[in-house]
Amino acid sequence: MIIIQPYAQKLPSGKLNPKNYHYWKELISLIDEPIIQVGVKGEEQLVPQFLQNLPLARLKELIAECRTWIGVDSFFQHLAHDCNKPGIVLWSVSDPLIFGYPENHNLLKDRSYLAPNQFLWWNYTDHNSDAFVKAEKVLEFL
Amino acid sequence: MDKILCSVATRGRYHTTLPLVLSAIINQTRLPDKLVIFDDNDEPEDMRNVAMYQHFFQMLDYKKVKWEWLFADKKGQHHIHQKANEMGYEWVWRVDDDAVPEPFVLDELYEWALNYDPMVGAVGGSILTMPTIFDTAKSTGKLADIDKEPNIQWGNITDTKEVEHLHCSFLYRAGVHDYNLGLSRVAHREETLFTYGLYKKGYKILAIPNAVTWHLKNPNGGIRSETNAQMFEKDEWIFRNHLQYNDRTIVVLNNGLGDHIVFSRLLPDIPNPCVFGCYPEVIPCRPIAEAIQLFGDIDQWNIYKMMARWNWKESLENAYRKLYL
Repeated sequence: MIIIQPYAQKLPSGKLNPKNYHYWKELISLIDEPIIQVGVKGEEQLVPQFLQNLPLARLKELIAECRTWIGVDSFFQHLAHDCNKPGIVLWSVSDPLIFGYPENHNLLKDRSYLAPNQFLWWNYTDHNSDAFVKAEKVLEFL
Repeated sequence: MDKILCSVATRGRYHTTLPLVLSAIINQTRLPDKLVIFDDNDEPEDMRNVAMYQHFFQMLDYKKVKWEWLFADKKGQHHIHQKANEMGYEWVWRVDDDAVPEPFVLDELYEWALNYDPMVGAVGGSILTMPTIFDTAKSTGKLADIDKEPNIQWGNITDTKEVEHLHCSFLYRAGVHDYNLGLSRVAHREETLFTYGLYKKGYKILAIPNAVTWHLKNPNGGIRSETNAQMFEKDEWIFRNHLQYNDRTIVVLNNGLGDHIVFSRLLPDIPNPCVFGCYPEVIPCRPIAEAIQLFGDIDQWNIYKMMARWNWKESLENAYRKLYL
């Protein structure tokens, strides 16, 4: 079983979070393995099993049970780090050298897409679908 | 490279003590690289039309001291000092507009700042108001003693002493600690909180001899002339809370779930923590609103602001370690 955690925190402005991976649907269609999506209420459901608003303790149990996980730069990678479970993080504008962990596959298309200021609210950065690696690339690391 | 900025905040003293202060700055044995005057007057004048000030500006030009006259926004002198703090200089010498330094004050302050210890954060000398009545030889300069002793700078300092706070005029290391912008326009205790904040970050605060500034106490005008009692009480409340939490490590996590998870790894190493946060399911904590009410301004605990200031390239966890350990 694979966990996907597709979305970063919603922005107060209502804008699309620039850390949200653009090719989830393509990626999911390429994965031949049971998938559980975790997230919060209001996020788009991408697979039949979407577990919303789980307490951290339950999330940790799921992480322990999964083969691996795929996510974006959000709380989930930090939780998985504490559970010693490596996964795949799909990066775009935030810097994996600052916010990521070396045990993960940190898939960043190119550092030229990183936001010049890593420490501002992501409200100020536009979403750019071109900043992400394609789904086929992710599959190579699964 | 420019190192020293001299900052003077002024209000209502164009034609009384401000000219004396500017003259004293211009005649220092060590000159600042730049003088900035923050004009907080309700009805500011263009001093370029006043002969005496024209002389001052010409003297500054002649001595190659850059100068700038900025009009402040009347939010209180802590906002003014914060602007100076962020102007990109290594050191800021803040001088009140009724505090006249003797000619070698900046020289002495700077020498101690450079040579005493690499971690000097601020240096101040005596600030004497005539007739001086205070014997401060036994003053400790510790924050816990602030209600029990005269401020060490009120008397003639004869020996260098490491203290925990300074007041009025002093030289400080810029860009490493912020003024508390949660204080009211009165800005009561602003310099005490600021220098104590430097001390809490591990910087040494020095009270030194042979650096006398004469405080020509003037009942009219002055950047501290705001007297609103409610504002004063609010600032005193904030100050007292800092005093009360003196032995605690204040932690403020006004950020996301992931940030809390990362910080939680440090928590066991933090001495006597008092945590304010947003996710009590990750770390037992009190509400952020309470931190704002207690301490006025929580920006000094904003990890992302600090990472930007430090031009941070390492991990978030290491940034937390730098901030709290």
